Amino acid sequence: MAKTFHLEIIATDRLFFSGEVEHLVITAIDGLLGIMAGHEPLVTCLPTGELKYLVNGEWKYAAISEGFIQVMPDSSIILADTCELPEEIDIKRAQEARERAEERMRQKQSIKEYYETQAALNRAMNRLKISQKHFK
Amino acid sequence: MPNMREIRERIGSIQQILKITNAMYLMSSSKLKKARKSLECTEPYFYKLQSTIESVLEHTPHTRQLYFDRRADIPEDKRKKGYIVITADKGLCGSYNHNILKYTDKKLDEAADLDNCYLFVMGQVGRMYYQRRINSNKKASVDGEFLYTTQNPTLYRASEVAELVLDKFEKRELDEVYLIYTDMINSNLQEPKTLRLLPFERKHFGKAADGTMKKLPKASFMPSPEEVMNYLIPQYAKGIIYGAMVEAFCCEQQSRMTAMDAATTSAKDMIKDLSLLYNRARQAAITQEITEVCGGAQSINE
Repeated sequence: MAKTFHLEIIATDRLFFSGEVEHLVITAIDGLLGIMAGHEPLVTCLPTGELKYLVNGEWKYAAISEGFIQVMPDSSIILADTCELPEEIDIKRAQEARERAEERMRQKQSIKEYYETQAALNRAMNRLKISQKHFK
Repeated sequence: MPNMREIRERIGSIQQILKITNAMYLMSSSKLKKARKSLECTEPYFYKLQSTIESVLEHTPHTRQLYFDRRADIPEDKRKKGYIVITADKGLCGSYNHNILKYTDKKLDEAADLDNCYLFVMGQVGRMYYQRRINSNKKASVDGEFLYTTQNPTLYRASEVAELVLDKFEKRELDEVYLIYTDMINSNLQEPKTLRLLPFERKHFGKAADGTMKKLPKASFMPSPEEVMNYLIPQYAKGIIYGAMVEAFCCEQQSRMTAMDAATTSAKDMIKDLSLLYNRARQAAITQEITEVCGGAQSINE
């Protein structure tokens, strides 16, 4: 078995995951980032996106929104606003959120509002994408 | 001796109020349970957030960072201070509101110049209190647009508040930002507390309560330390505000529960006293009637 490292994923409302993993793949600002045991210390921010980690030879997926990761050679911590498993995602709610955001995008907004709507749309799309991909 | 009808009416009205206080007691206790749960769920996040930021900061190269700007160019008493005050939306929660407002008043008195104080009040009670104060010319301006309730704190609301103050700080409309909220020490003891939000200080990130802190050997930042900091600090501010909101909400429910419990007990006591008084009055009336009848009968006999 490959060398493992300790991973903790903490969302604002709960401890999402804590345990030994072999491999972690995250979406960083500028692309995908793979982390294995013994990675160099690193701090980076995570935009809304997908997350996967390898536990006992099995890939687990999660939808994550806005957070950051601190990587150390023997452990990593991810702190995020929300983190959900594909099967936990409320598709209906995400769809509604997407429609709401799209509706707002069509209206005139200030720059700040525009960014907020864009972020909301991103979150909704990300949720829908991940639940469609991994949970049928 | 008060008359019987009056006492009966009084008992009736106390019984009505007892029903209300009892219902409020039950409601706040169920809300408290919910609030406690969310507090427990968010705590690990905050401790981790604090300790992580602490260790990240230790290794940040000394960059000129926007949110660490101490505003050294402005004299101490000319700095614009912002206060985010978290109060309740409703009264009837014992001394909860009173305590936090008195504490804020004290803080404002300490501030050198009230014209440079800006209040961001969450919760109806506090907002009303400070708006009334503006009218009476003891000024510290209250942001009228800042309309947030304290019921059921959400991360979304916290992020809006954080964005607002960070934005004002960036535009130099505020030089210092403090957060005033009620901290729950244990279930019987609550205390108003101030937390300095901005500008950030390195020592500000104290050790996390659980004492976990891992030394991070020189870390690299992706894409760049500034970028990461620009992203982390708002995240941190949001987290802190959310934590304070949850904590304050928990305190509010706790003190409302205690207050309503006390009100229910004293209503019960009052009813007990009054029914004693009522029975006495009733007996006195009967005795009087008998005496009158006897007196009447005797006078006929004579």
